[in-house]
Amino acid sequence: MAAINFGYTISRPRAIDVDRNNLRKSDEILREMPELQTCIGCGSCTAVCTAGNLTEFNFRKVHTLVRRGEYAGAYEEMNKCMLCGKCRLVCPRGINTRGVVMLIKHKLGDL
Amino acid sequence: MKFYAPFCLPFILGAAAMFAAVGCKWLVWLLRLPRADKMLILRGLPTAATLRAAGEVVCESLLHRRIFRVNPVLGYMHMSLAFGWFLLIAVGWIETVAYLGFRYVPLQGHVFFKYFATGLPHKPFFDFAMDLLLLFVLSGVALAWAKRLRSKALGMRRTTKHVLGDRIALSALWFIFPARLVAESTTCALYGGGGFLTGTLGAWMHDRIGMMTLMSVESAAWWFYSSCLGLFFAAMPFSRYMHIFTEIPLIFLRRWRLRSGEKKKSYDHFQIEACSRCGICIDPCQLQSVLHVDDVQSVYFLRDRRYRMLRPEVADNCLMCGRCAAKCPVGIDLNALRLNSRDRLRNLPDKRRYAYLQDVDRSQGSGKTGYFAGCMTLLTPRILHAMEQVFAAAGDEVWWADREGGVCCGRPLKLSGETDAARKMMRYNTELFRKHGITTLVTSCPICLKVFREDYELRGIEVLHHSEYILRLLQAGRLSVGRSDSRFTYHDPCELGRGSGIYDQPRAVIEALGQLLEPAQTRENAPCCGSSVANTAISDGQQAAIARAVASELTATGADTIVTACPLCKKAIARGTAAEVRDLAEVVAAHIRK
Repeated sequence: MAAINFGYTISRPRAIDVDRNNLRKSDEILREMPELQTCIGCGSCTAVCTAGNLTEFNFRKVHTLVRRGEYAGAYEEMNKCMLCGKCRLVCPRGINTRGVVMLIKHKLGDL
Repeated sequence: MKFYAPFCLPFILGAAAMFAAVGCKWLVWLLRLPRADKMLILRGLPTAATLRAAGEVVCESLLHRRIFRVNPVLGYMHMSLAFGWFLLIAVGWIETVAYLGFRYVPLQGHVFFKYFATGLPHKPFFDFAMDLLLLFVLSGVALAWAKRLRSKALGMRRTTKHVLGDRIALSALWFIFPARLVAESTTCALYGGGGFLTGTLGAWMHDRIGMMTLMSVESAAWWFYSSCLGLFFAAMPFSRYMHIFTEIPLIFLRRWRLRSGEKKKSYDHFQIEACSRCGICIDPCQLQSVLHVDDVQSVYFLRDRRYRMLRPEVADNCLMCGRCAAKCPVGIDLNALRLNSRDRLRNLPDKRRYAYLQDVDRSQGSGKTGYFAGCMTLLTPRILHAMEQVFAAAGDEVWWADREGGVCCGRPLKLSGETDAARKMMRYNTELFRKHGITTLVTSCPICLKVFREDYELRGIEVLHHSEYILRLLQAGRLSVGRSDSRFTYHDPCELGRGSGIYDQPRAVIEALGQLLEPAQTRENAPCCGSSVANTAISDGQQAAIARAVASELTATGADTIVTACPLCKKAIARGTAAEVRDLAEVVAAHIRK
């Protein structure tokens, strides 16, 4: 049977064990940018993203993974961001998303 | 005649230390200038720019004309100290020549002439002139004291908070002239002479104080005066007062077209140390006036950078709206300096970065006129649709660079300090424009406009903001609009007004549509909407607070519609008011006569 293209894909199932991950960087990030905890994961940031329009870059996914201690590849992903600031204007929780991008890059850059 | 007394020692040592330190600093900065800058100096030296620079030195370093324009009382204070002191030195020199003819007199002989000249016959003209000048300077010192006690009385909401070194130099400076008055007066009390100030005070002392006491007071007073001078001179090269000498080479270098850029270079030192920390940049800053953040303004940024204690929190917390730079009496390029500090803090070259841009091309249409919406216009589709209507009504065939998504112009990334990565986006967009062979590039976003004009290499392509483009259409009769009795007010976007010097075009367009009402602070003084992409430090709530303050000024005009010419300003201001906020393109589209 030929696969029907619905225009989206389903992520492979995976489990994140927060107890086993090293949350030191994540805690530092949340301490410096506590407003990130108010994120409701609506994905508006990703929907308007200039870089996300051209690549698979997904800001919601990356910052959520970083908060759970999944740092692998996050720095390289964040480097796709063009810092244009559309996400900040649409965020319903008023999170300083550009500040989050810069903070995550700053914290994970020297991993 | 002997020109030495032990009390001269502090002055001689202080002055020697000052000349050595200033000379060393200048020499190192000049030698470290990049080759291109040195060539600019050589090429500029024999031109009229040098004469104009000399004129500017007199107007600014001595007379402080630009401060007079901001605030006359402050202007008088700075002028009386700088010009008054200069005249005291110059007339003092003439006085020694008048008394002794053209012969060598050591430096301390000129400075402490009153002390050494007691045996000479008096020349009442010089006694009077020198007293008058001393009074002139003392009036400035009195104003400086008053400003420290109550800055509001002198028209400043806030004055600079100083570091310890500055406080020492400042106190020494404040005591120099009262100490000179007392020292000269006691000498007059003992030996007679003096003008209306020192002579009168001296006669008064002579009547009331015994001879023996007067003699010890005289010695102590001259010691104190010389110590104040010595302390001030020794502290000068390391304090805010380095500006006294640094502003002079800065004016010349600027006239020879040296500029600060997105990377640090030696010329920056001349700009940084020419800051007198007068604090005039504090009042225009909305982070101060609305949010009460008071340690990030240009004066503190320059101070922190000069003493190598700049923190990212200070460098990042700036809207780069340019309101402070517009008021800076020294004309320091504050945004460029802040930008290259951010570059130093954050620029990380990464060759693989933005590899995904290769082969991206979502542009549509074909035409010699290109339209670049920019990220912010894509987020405000009503502006985009309005531009579509304008282009259709004018019958212009348009190449749409990014209607279906494109690449950011690079300015937001540049402003954050990642200048090398931003260059990649700039290169990508430049190649895209070249590939499609456009001759005119219209954008409705002033952020894109500024970077296109300043950082892109677009020779052969005319870059226009949509306000300029629409005005041309109206003037050429290619677009016809109907006038209504609507009342508009206009908000100047920072990047368009102070950033690109476009004030009149949007106003001319609005006046073709209806009545234009100006807000209280407008044009060069217009406030920032608060959502500037240059600031990554303030919170959403703080942005909204600035937007409310700006919106209240705009609604106070009584206009029906707030018009701006920047998609980001539009979104920001709309958060601060219930009134209607529209982009220029939208109001034009609504008035197009079919």
